[in-house]
Amino acid sequence: MTIAKRTTPWWCVGMAVAAATPVVHANQDVERNIADSKNWAVQAGDEYNQRYSKLNQINAGNVGRMQVAWTFSTGVLRGHEGSPLVIGDTMYIHSPFPNKVFAMDLNTQKILWKFEPRQDPAVIPQMCCDTVNRGLAYAENKVFLQQADSTLVALDAKTGKVVWSVKNGDPKLGAVNTNAPHIFKDKVITGISGGEWGVRGYISAYDINSGKLVWRAYSTGPDAEMLIDPQKTTTWVDGAIAPVGPDSSLKTWQGDQWKIGGGTTWGWYSYDKAANLMYYGSGNPSTWNPAQRPGDNKWSMSIWARDVDTGVAKWVYQMTPYDEWDFDGVNEMILADINVKGKPTKALVHFDRNGFGYTLDRITGALLVAEKYDPAVNWASAIDMRSGRPIGVKKYSTAAGGPDVNTKGICPAALGSKDEQPASFDPNTKLFYVPTNHVCMDYEPFKVEYTAGQPYVGATLSMYPAPNSHGGMGNFIAWDAGNGRIVQTHPEKFSVWSGALNTAGGISCYGTLEGYLKCVDAKNINKELFRFKTPSGIIGNVFSYEHRGKQYIGVFSGIGGWAGIGMAAGLEKDTDGLGAVGGYRELNQYTELGGSLTVFSLPNN
Amino acid sequence: MTRKIARRLGLVLALGAALGAARLAPAAATTPYKVVDGYKVDEFTMTGFRTWRAAACDRCHGANQEGLVGPSLVESLKTLSKEDFVKTLTDGRLDKGMPSWSTNQQVMGNIDALYAYLKGRSDGAITKARVEPMAAESAPAS
Repeated sequence: MTIAKRTTPWWCVGMAVAAATPVVHANQDVERNIADSKNWAVQAGDEYNQRYSKLNQINAGNVGRMQVAWTFSTGVLRGHEGSPLVIGDTMYIHSPFPNKVFAMDLNTQKILWKFEPRQDPAVIPQMCCDTVNRGLAYAENKVFLQQADSTLVALDAKTGKVVWSVKNGDPKLGAVNTNAPHIFKDKVITGISGGEWGVRGYISAYDINSGKLVWRAYSTGPDAEMLIDPQKTTTWVDGAIAPVGPDSSLKTWQGDQWKIGGGTTWGWYSYDKAANLMYYGSGNPSTWNPAQRPGDNKWSMSIWARDVDTGVAKWVYQMTPYDEWDFDGVNEMILADINVKGKPTKALVHFDRNGFGYTLDRITGALLVAEKYDPAVNWASAIDMRSGRPIGVKKYSTAAGGPDVNTKGICPAALGSKDEQPASFDPNTKLFYVPTNHVCMDYEPFKVEYTAGQPYVGATLSMYPAPNSHGGMGNFIAWDAGNGRIVQTHPEKFSVWSGALNTAGGISCYGTLEGYLKCVDAKNINKELFRFKTPSGIIGNVFSYEHRGKQYIGVFSGIGGWAGIGMAAGLEKDTDGLGAVGGYRELNQYTELGGSLTVFSLPNN
Repeated sequence: MTRKIARRLGLVLALGAALGAARLAPAAATTPYKVVDGYKVDEFTMTGFRTWRAAACDRCHGANQEGLVGPSLVESLKTLSKEDFVKTLTDGRLDKGMPSWSTNQQVMGNIDALYAYLKGRSDGAITKARVEPMAAESAPAS
């Protein structure tokens, strides 16, 4: 089949180039930009994905006086995810499809240059959950844009001219992109979307100077194409770390299903320089009808640690074997050095769509903590810490129900207790601040045929607020990852679909789907210190920078994404008597489409 | 609103709905679908539903055709002619996010059945998006 034919040469190229690549030092430019906390140099503020700013001019005592400093319209409707970057005096702003890029001079607020790629509009319907884009990357005078049509481009940061451009996938097969590119060392790392089109997921590393593919690693298939060393790549099994062994993916699929088996990679990646490892998650197996893909479907739904230079997997851990709910494993991997059950640990913390908050040893891949971060979660009673596998609840198994049977009351819904909206880590409180969904679903799988480039979904879902709770569809929580414990819950009317930001000023800020930017006290998240209604619902990530001695906090507004657009128009069910209206349907009483950036600061006096 | 008024209003609404349902009772001779009890449909309409589901139309048009990113088909099919329906599916409306289904055999091969199902939903005759096959004996006499 064409997919297999296409993949093998990629890998051969990948390995050959990797072997020839000389050892290079970590990208000093990116490190320098991150170290200067006046910048917002990478999407998460740092390579650990902590979303923490060291700036403290705006703090718990004065944030209540914060005002709008300036605003900017992107001129694009639909969902605005991610955030701008700030490098020195320049802000780089992106938009959803058509993926415009603006470079703005912060001194004059003049647009220095604008880039708008030409993309085939046929890519729009290929994007499963709105035409979002999660932002840019910057290194060595280049701005990197991952376009929707899978083209990865490097732009000259001074002029906006294309330096190089490379095709990362085939959009005609549904392989499109929404993720931000990430710069680790001398490589641009990017993923792929299309799990609902039967795309076989992979992660790719390109040389930042030439755009040449250095390595590509698939989530499923033969060991060589996954860059898995059967003897050296390890996983968590029987309460210990052990080699995955040969054909660890192939033997968990029936026949050739892995070739159209998903495991896409559209999340936020992180990097531990000392270990030379990068971390990311792989998404749901295709199709959503589990009956068509018996087996564990490895390595969909997994956390990956890979050597940045070679792409070879150091360890991998599958969270949801044989997915029956679309619990993508792509959510961000946050790296933090914290006490785990009292012991200082180089930890990786991950809030999975499946509703469990995982803490692993990021060096070894050992599973340390796995607990529900929303008490509503019911599809599994717990994670068995020895096997690392969920202990499923049969009543909520869509596979047990089988095709054409509607399994009801599953929590969380397919969009997870959390989706892509990234959490933050505050080194002062040692807590994680997590924007969450509080939504449940009915799920009816059905048989689908695979046709290249056509939707390959295979389930009908209805979603509604978690029953017997506060009636809202979201919570903002503070989480103790060392013990797997919810410290505090701040209920929200709608899903909190905005990336959180914590700062050295003792505040934690996030956006809401109604359009409020809210800042709360990091020590007591139920103490709201600030709120402002931006022009549209917020699914973007809060960021902070300093310019000419003044600290700014900014956020995109522009409703959309799976939670926003998908839900805004209505969730009214006519299929049964659950009466699950309300919820997201009310969103259109608060907000409309429209992308803009709102930037806040303290008044001058 | 007092409870009494609310109750009365509810009654009026229920009555209206009942009248509406009566008005929209299936006329098998003139509609492309056959339906009883609002959700039991003939095999042709069932094929239309399966086509709708397989092509994942619900991701844009909503699980109940009420509209999400894409428009409400309950509304659209009140004005869209059969001819324009076929044209829209064949050519797509790419700039608005509607794909061309011309290469999808399942959609193109069952386009009449898909229309029948959606027309039934738009007419209000099919009252539940999730339809079921009607038993042979409950089929209305034609």
